[in-house]
Order: sequence, then C-alpha cells, then structure tokens
Amino acid sequence: MHRTEPDRSATSIIEFCQFARAHGLSVGIQQTLAALEAAKSIGDVDRQGFAFALRAALTSSKEEWELFLRIFETFWNASQQTTKPASGGAREAKTRTSQPKTESETLGIECVDDTSLPAGEGQAVSGASAQRRIQKMDFSNVPQDDLAALEEISSRLFRRMSLRLSRRIKIRELADRVDLRRTIRRSIPHGGDPIVLAFRGKKFQQHRLLIFLDVSGSMNSYSLFLVRFAYALQKYFKRVDTFVFSTDVVEISEVLRTRDLPKALHGLSQKAAGWAGGTRIGESLKEFNHRYGRKLLSRNTVFIILSDGWDTGEPAMLAEQLRSIRHRVKELIWLNPLLGLEEYEPVTRGIIAALPYVDVFAPAHNLESLLELEKFL
Amino acid sequence: MPTPPKRPEENQVKDVDALIQSFEQLGYVTDRALATSVYLAMKLHKPLLIEGHAGLGKTEVAKVLAAMLGTRLIRLQCYEGLDVGAAVYEWNYQKQLLAIKIQEKTEQTVEEKEKHIFSKEFLLERPLLQSILAEEASPVLLIDEIDRADEAFEAFLLELLSDFQISVPEMGTLKAKHIPYVILTSNRTRELSDALKRRCFYHWIDYPDFEKELRIVRARLPGVEEALGRQVVRFVQAARQLDLMKPPGVTETLDCALAAMSLGKHELDSQTVEETLGCITKSMEDAAKLKSAGIEKLLS
Repeated sequence: MHRTEPDRSATSIIEFCQFARAHGLSVGIQQTLAALEAAKSIGDVDRQGFAFALRAALTSSKEEWELFLRIFETFWNASQQTTKPASGGAREAKTRTSQPKTESETLGIECVDDTSLPAGEGQAVSGASAQRRIQKMDFSNVPQDDLAALEEISSRLFRRMSLRLSRRIKIRELADRVDLRRTIRRSIPHGGDPIVLAFRGKKFQQHRLLIFLDVSGSMNSYSLFLVRFAYALQKYFKRVDTFVFSTDVVEISEVLRTRDLPKALHGLSQKAAGWAGGTRIGESLKEFNHRYGRKLLSRNTVFIILSDGWDTGEPAMLAEQLRSIRHRVKELIWLNPLLGLEEYEPVTRGIIAALPYVDVFAPAHNLESLLELEKFL
Repeated sequence: MPTPPKRPEENQVKDVDALIQSFEQLGYVTDRALATSVYLAMKLHKPLLIEGHAGLGKTEVAKVLAAMLGTRLIRLQCYEGLDVGAAVYEWNYQKQLLAIKIQEKTEQTVEEKEKHIFSKEFLLERPLLQSILAEEASPVLLIDEIDRADEAFEAFLLELLSDFQISVPEMGTLKAKHIPYVILTSNRTRELSDALKRRCFYHWIDYPDFEKELRIVRARLPGVEEALGRQVVRFVQAARQLDLMKPPGVTETLDCALAAMSLGKHELDSQTVEETLGCITKSMEDAAKLKSAGIEKLLS
C-alpha cells in the first residue's frame, strides 16, 4: 500500500496518538477524542493542514508544540512505508517498515514499555536509613556515588515541603471582620434584622520570595542544591525571583520557570557569569537594589540570602545595603552553610556587619537544615 | 452535551482557507497553522488556548474572530486576586437595600420579598455570566492572560468551560442558550493546570518570519513606505536575536514603523532608531544592550 497522503482512518489516528504518547506528548483519552473530531471536521486538506489540526488537538505546551511535527513526520512516514524515514526516528521507522501495518498497534505498546521504564530505575533504590544518612550529609562532602541519590531525595523532599506549605494556608484562613453585604443578605428572611452575622476572613496574601544566591568559589558545592531548593519553592509562592551573584548579579528567575529542571540547570551554568569566582556581597546587593529593588521589594517579600559571608568587599557597604533592604521587605533570612560546622563562630567582618539586620540566621549545609527552613516561610 | 444551537454566521466560513481570507480582509495576517486552530475551535465549540510572547496578536485573534462572525466580544481580563464577584456576577447590594426599605410597608410575604430582590433586576452581570446569557448569537468570550489569575479561579473556569452553565444560589442554574466561542490567552508566566489544557485546543504563537511580519506591517499601516517597512522589520528581527529581557513583539514593530512615519522619515537610520528606541525596548537594560550591540550593525 503506497500512499503519499497520510491514512486518516480512525484506527491510524488512534495509533498515532499512542505513538505520540510514547514519544513524550501527554496525550490522554480526551485528546485522542479531540484529535478524531478535529480530523473529521477539518475536512479534505493536505498533509500539512492535517498535521496542524492534530497539533492543535494533541499538544498543550510550547515544548510539545515544538516536538509535534517531528513526531508526526516520523509516524506517518514510517507507517506509510515511504522510502525515506525521517531522520529523527530512523530506528523506529526501520522496525515499522519491516512489519505489516496491522502490527503497528503492538509497536505502539512496545514504545510505551520503552519509555515507562527509565534507565536508572534499578539503581535509584535507597533504604530509609540511607535516606536519613544522606539527609544529614554536608553538601560539600557528598561522595560522587551518592550524588544522584541526594539529588533524587532532595527533589522529592522539597516537593513534599512545598505541598505541606500550601496546605497550611488553608487552615490559617480565619474570619476577622463582619461582612456587611452578606450580613444584609442574610437578614432578609428575618425581616431586615441582622440576626445571622456573616464574616469576612482575611484573604491569605501569598508572599513573594526573593532568593539571592552566592555562587562564588567558596560556595560552589552548595549552590547547586540551593538552586534546587529555590526551584521547589516556586510553586508555593506567588512569585519567586532568583538571583545569583559572586562579583556580578545575574537574574535566573526565567531559567527556573520551567518544568524541566536538569535542562534549566544546564542552561544556568551557561548563563551565570563568574560562577565560582570571588564574592562581593555588598556591591552585589547595591547593584541589585539599584536595578531591581524598586520593582521587586515590597512588604510581602521574603528575602533570602544564601551565602557564607566570606566577603572581600567593605562591611560598611554591606550593612548599608542590608539596612535598606530590611526596611522594604517582610523578612530577611540569611542562610549560611558554615553554621553547620560545630566550631564555626560568626566572626567574619561581613557577617558581623550584617547580623543586626537579619531576622533569621540559619544553617543551610545539608538537606535537613534546608527543610527546617519551612518554619520560617 | 446538548446539541449546540444553530449559528448561521459560522457556516459562511467553509474551510481553513476561507477563514484566512476573512481574517486578512479584517486586517489580521495569519498563517495556516493558526487558522487551522481557530477553525477547529470554532467548528467543534472547544476553547482555544493561545500561548506566546507578549505583543504577537494573541488578544487580536479573539477580536478579529468576533468581527468576522459579526458577534459580540466579551472580554475578561484576568489579574491576581480576580474573584467570582468580578468575573461572574454580583448582587447589587445598594439597590437591594433600597428595595427592602421600600417593601417594608407592603403586605408581601417574606418569600415574595426575597424573590423580588433576588431577581434579575438586581443582578450585576460580569463577563462570564454575560457570555452565558447572550440572547441572539454565540458571543466570543476572550479570557485574557489566564496565567495571571490564581489556581482557584482556573478550577472554577474549568467547570464553566465544560458545562457552560453558572449556578446562582438564589436563582438556580443559568444555562447558555448559545455556547460562546472561548479564546484563552496566556503569557506563560506560570504553568496552567493539565485539566484546563486538556479541555482546550492549543496554539503556540511564535515570532513571525520576515515575510509574514512585513505583510502584517503593510496590512496594519497601509501608508507605510515599502523601504521603511522592510528596514523596520529587518531591524526588529535582528533585535530579537539579542537575548533581550523583553524581546520586541509585532506590536513593537508596528509602533516603531508608526513612530518613524510620524517623524516624517523615509528610511530608518541609526539616528531615527535612537529617537524611537522606546518603541522597541521597554527597559533601560534592554536599551543599553541594544546600543552596545551596535545599531548600525543591526540595521545593515
């Protein structure tokens, strides 16, 4: 059966939906139905028009949108047994062409099996005790072998934390004022006497979070996890803005507003200038205040600085900048990985200058300490 | 789902090409991909979610669709803290209070009084309710920047978009006579819920290529000189490659061309660009970046 046009029967569209699901689109029953409807009502169009119709029905984000046409080409080329399979899916195309078309249903299932078993699943198993051990491990001495496990656990725990935080809002909602409008409405059955009072609760104001992340040389081993932490918090706060600094300030909020964190981290390493250089907290803060302060600092902002306080700049400058920030935000939190060391005393000049303006001064050297932070947020 | 009522206007648009033509007549230059999405959303009465950067004509799609169908455009602009009172309906409390006072001396029973003050007369219709109550024909409901509203509102919207009915406790359930055409737009400042996305057709609007953008400029600014139009488009397209914080959209292209025309320029030179830089970049940092990249270089 050699056809240049895609076969538009319901069966092949359903097969295509399965194929698309196996290749990364989140296609459910609803989308499949939408695709069938779309194919029916688009009428007699060329191959491209057909692809556009299916794309409108089957995708739901920019990433899927960009992926779609490749999947489309791969599938129809393969199942139509044209001579040249698309470059993107040469392997699948080969297996497909070697079998009669009716078999492609089983092929679809094969594909699902392929992707439902991620490569690393067998290795990621870790017992409860291992998890506890890793949770207490200082980020800077995590052995290479445990790194993957730590990343996995951290993303899980952070996710759970952000869920807990969002549940807590609901309970905190309490009534505090009489709602006149609703009281009047309720008074009508009583002939206008306000017998049943209606209350107006304070609407929970979601806070903004601003994270100021030290990525200088001395903080290098911590910064990766702190970025992860920032990422997990995004869901809970109304808005999270993240900046990294060492000698220069770089905004990375956009980079973190993605679903795919590993990709984001990769993008980050390209974006962050001076990653692993020296530190000038005071000057970085000054630059931040100058460029973003007016826009981002408000009374419902929680400002988190993650740094070890090894500042090569002027302490007076640091103090001045912190003071001006403190006046404008709800809370100023300084997280210091060094606080995890038993012998550490906050005696560096920078830290001494900073302490008067900081509401919370807490450690951030391992997962446990990061999770502790929950109570301040 | 009940069979949707007849819509005569819709039948005029036979296929995707007819839709492209009608859109162009109304001054909206579109491509087949977008036309297909709009066409399907229209035919199948499914909401269409359009995502893309700012200034690429997302909102315009709904306006043009309404103009083409000769129907009403009802717009709901979303914002943080948008609530049911502003989006769906609210009772006119002041008027109700007055009515209660007026009724005080009458012989009506409490039930009658209550029925009276909770009648349509006292109902303030907000966009979503308006779209349900439309009398003559299906309106176009534009839910603009849905990503700005909170998740609770999104959940409410989900219910509305599947049943097209709104229940007002005091009046009962109001069902749509004519199911509206729904267009949602989002700037992707946050990820929308899967449930909502699953219910919609999806379209991602990207920056247009040179030819399309030039056509847009010609369509929207009929007086523009060909050479100037080309220069502006080329310049903006080059500026988009610069990794600016807010890359200029098509709106900015049009602004820039219009500004140059208003200044009586016949071509875009570096001085004109400097003068009209505010049309292209919307922040100090971006302007600096543009300048440091060399305006001359971007123009050539």
